[in-house]
Formats: sequence, structure tokens, C-alpha cells
Amino acid sequence: MNRSRILRMLAIFGMLTAFTLSSAGVLPAKDSSEAQYEVLSPWGEADPKPLKGISPRVDDLSGKKIGIFANYKRAAIPIAMSLQERIKSEYPDSTVSIYHSDQWNVTEIETENKDTFKKWVEGKDAVILLVGD
Amino acid sequence: MSIENLGTPVVLLANPGFLRDAQSASSNKGMPVLRTLPLNVACESTVKKDIDTGTFEAMPAIVEALTRPLTDHEKAPKWSTEQPPRIAFKGTYENINRFFYRNGWTDGLPIAPPTETAVREMMTGTDLPADHVVAKVIPRQGKATIEKIAVNAVMAGALPTHMPVIIAAVESFAIQKTRFDTFEVSTGSWAPFFAINGPIRDQIHINYSSGALSPGDIANAAIGRAVGLIVKNIGGARKAVEDMGVIGNPAKYTLVIGEDEENSPWEPLHVERGFKKEDNTLTVFFPNSYMQAVPKGTDAKGIAKGMLDMNPWSMSCFVVIPSHAEILASEGWTKKSLKEYLVRGLEDPMKAYLKSQGGETKSEDILSAPPEAADPDSLMILVAGGPGAWTGLLRSVGGIQNDFVTVKINLPANWDKLVRKYGNIVPNYARY
Repeated sequence: MNRSRILRMLAIFGMLTAFTLSSAGVLPAKDSSEAQYEVLSPWGEADPKPLKGISPRVDDLSGKKIGIFANYKRAAIPIAMSLQERIKSEYPDSTVSIYHSDQWNVTEIETENKDTFKKWVEGKDAVILLVGD
Repeated sequence: MSIENLGTPVVLLANPGFLRDAQSASSNKGMPVLRTLPLNVACESTVKKDIDTGTFEAMPAIVEALTRPLTDHEKAPKWSTEQPPRIAFKGTYENINRFFYRNGWTDGLPIAPPTETAVREMMTGTDLPADHVVAKVIPRQGKATIEKIAVNAVMAGALPTHMPVIIAAVESFAIQKTRFDTFEVSTGSWAPFFAINGPIRDQIHINYSSGALSPGDIANAAIGRAVGLIVKNIGGARKAVEDMGVIGNPAKYTLVIGEDEENSPWEPLHVERGFKKEDNTLTVFFPNSYMQAVPKGTDAKGIAKGMLDMNPWSMSCFVVIPSHAEILASEGWTKKSLKEYLVRGLEDPMKAYLKSQGGETKSEDILSAPPEAADPDSLMILVAGGPGAWTGLLRSVGGIQNDFVTVKINLPANWDKLVRKYGNIVPNYARY
């Protein structure tokens, strides 16, 4: 067997071994010198916010003043009107009033309507908030 | 939440797809326990029968939410938010990319590792200190410090010479009349459009010629991408939690262009908006659609009529190519007279549609039904683009106390040195 034939056989053996290993999902070991990076976080810090609980509930809706807050989305008012009808039929002695906001993504109390809004809320025992979506 | 703060119990009703958004909004204002309920009515529904069915089904849960006594947690909530350490990770390029992607910190494309060295180099693009807070970015009021801006800029592949523009973009978002608060998270998938004017355009190779809005130019690509990452990572706008864009918008990857001031017959945009010609500026607004058309005629009248046919909404920006601008100007059109002509000639598409349906109603949700441009100042004209015959139109909506906003781009003292260092990074295509 001459030298070139031996070399050719070794090469074929090597290729076959590599094929078998890669078909079995075994990959050659990674170069241990592969670059390692220490990287900074892109996530912005935010000041902690003081947490608040929610207000005590009412015992029953009978005889209560219920507010429905509808935002600017087009379905908000039709939903508010439907709910108003529903509450009136189930709790005939309750009163229901709808507040319509035309502000985009602004808390009503931060707008020029704040006094009207505050007065409306303060006269209510409970409020249903609709976002129209 | 302000209703709860006034001592009145609240239950919030939203389409099931918007409950997480509502809960996040409440948590961001310090009230993580607001009672919320799903309302099974199609978003923006116009069908009374469906609305009545939805409210009927929701009624028992509404009553329960307004009457069930509070738990201890609801009376005094405890809430913790995650704050990753400054050094976020150590690993190979591939592992860093997997880690960042799994944390929701990327835009889906691979990022460049924001190493201490790379971030420090990025910060040579400003004289402001690393801990300087440029703005607090909503929705979570994350602090956009110079260092955090630089980290996101490195990730986006930006150069230090892009930092002044990226900082200006963050500053612009803090200006209320951009209505960034609404546009960045709106169902309409609005994306920030940045028009750059002044000498900086050529110093950092902002494309304002052929294919300016196409991929391939590092400044146009990386500046917009960095801003997108900042909105996501510093502002915390998570897709389908706070960013409720329904269909989404590829322009959120980047939408940056310069004005071809040298080939425009008109005064540049920033001069029109009160700045000096030598000032560097960034002008921003939030379109959600981009269309292009060839005018029916190539005389001034044909070009102007072609723009009118594209039907700009109130607020829109036309991208007029230099050759068309030259024709318009040669027949006496100014930016002002062109805008006045466009406003006079427009018909409200929603009105036309409703008329064709046999009725007229007034929609109060102008984000969903944008009206026509009614004020010349609600239109912007930018001269850019290469040889050809197309006109571009980016359409947004006005009427929510918003406007185009232009801010000055402030350069660091070492600017000339920085430009010399990075100014030769331009593509050189293979010959074939």
C-alpha cells in the first residue's frame, strides 16, 4: 500500500467520523478562546412608586348613585348607555350618570375639566370605568 | 385611578385583549390591585346587539367587583419590580444575544454587545455626564441617563457621532405636544419619523437622496433603531402589554431621513420652523402609514394635483423629490402656497364614506377615523429622494393637542475630532 493511498483512506475515515458525529448532534468543541464579553444592562431605572390600595366597596348597588366613566373611544358611550339601561332595570332605585371624556391618554383630573370631574366623582357611591376597547 | 384616589370604588371594564394594558397602566401609577374585568365586546364595536349581550354577561361580575369586601392585599398592596444589575451578563456574542432576546431587550435582530468599553466610547458623542437624566420615558418613567442611552445605542450599532441625534430624539419625546404618550402605545401603530436638518447630515452621512428610507445607511438605520430600543428598554413599552399596536409597523425599526437642503429651491424645514440654517435640528412626528405615488403630470399643476390625490390626513409630511420641488418653485409655488392649495382641495374621506352609506355621524375618536388636513400648518413638506418621479407621503393625525416638534441637536466640544474619527465609515460597493 503506497503512502498516498494510506493518506486517502485516512481522509475518508475522518470525513465519515465527522459526518457520523454531526448527524448525532454532537458538535466539535467550541474554541475555548472564543471572545467573552461583560455587558451592561439596557433597562432603565425608575423611581419606586408609593403603592396605594383601593377604596372600600359598597354593600349593595340598591339605592346607590352609580357613575359610568366613558373615555374617547367610539364604543365607550354605547357601552355606557347599555350598562345604564341594565343597572336601571336591575336596581330601579339606583341613579346612574355617565361622564364622557374626550381626552386622549390624559387623566381627566389633570385637565381643565378637573373641577367638573371631581364634583361628578364625589357624588357617586361607585364607578364603572370604560375604556372602549 | 384618580377616581379610587378620591375614595370611590371602581371596576374597570376592558376587552380581554386590553386587560393587561389596563393593569399595567394602573400599576405604573402605584395601584397594582385595581379591580378589572373582561368585557366580551369587540373593540370599538358599533353593533348594539353585541354590546347589550356583553354588558348582560358582565353584569354579575360588575356587581361582585363593586361589593366584594377588600382583601388585605387590596387594602395595602405589596409589589416588586425587577431591576437588573448594571452588569447584566457575561458570555459569548451568541449567548449575550440569546440572553438579551429572552429578556425582551432586543427588536428581534442581533445586537452589538454593550461592553463597558463600547459604551464609554459611545459617550464621547456628548459632553453630558453618564448619570445625567435626559428624560423620564413613559410608560414606566424609566430614567434615560446618558449611560443607558449609550448602552442602547451600542446595541443598535450606532456610532458615537450619532449620539447627539439620539439624545435630541429622547429630548423631543419629553415635549408634550409630540403626544409621544399616546402615539407610542396606541392601537394605530404610529412610529416616530425623524427629519434631520443642518450640517450634521453630511458629517454623519444621513441619507437624503436615493433610497433614503431604505436600509443600507448606518446613520438612518442605527439612529432610529437605537430610539426604538430606548422606548422598549428605558420606557418599558412591551409589545401587547403597553404597546397595543394592532397590526404593528415596520417603521418602528427606523424612520430617519435628512432634507436635501442643497438641492431644494425652498428654505429648509428647520429654517421654516424658526431655526438658523447652520443649526442642526431634529423634527419629529408620528405617522402610521407611508405611501408613494407618481403624479399624473410632471408640470407644477400635475405634481400639486398628484399630492392632493394622495389625501393627506391632518398631520402629514410630503417627501418631495428635488426635481419636482424645482418644477414647482419655477412656476411660483412656495411651500406655504402648496400647503394652502392642498388643504383647500381636500375632502374628508370619512365624511365621503359616511355619505356613501347614506348618513353622516361625527366620530369623536379621531385616532381611529383621522380627519382631512384642515390647516396648512398641519402639513409638512420635506425635499428628499433621488432621481425619478415619485412623491412620498407619511400620514399621521392631528387634533389631540399635538404638533410637529423641532429640537436643536447639541454637539460635544470634541465634535470635529469625532467626525474625523468616524466620518470615513461609508459603504463602498463591490464593482461588478
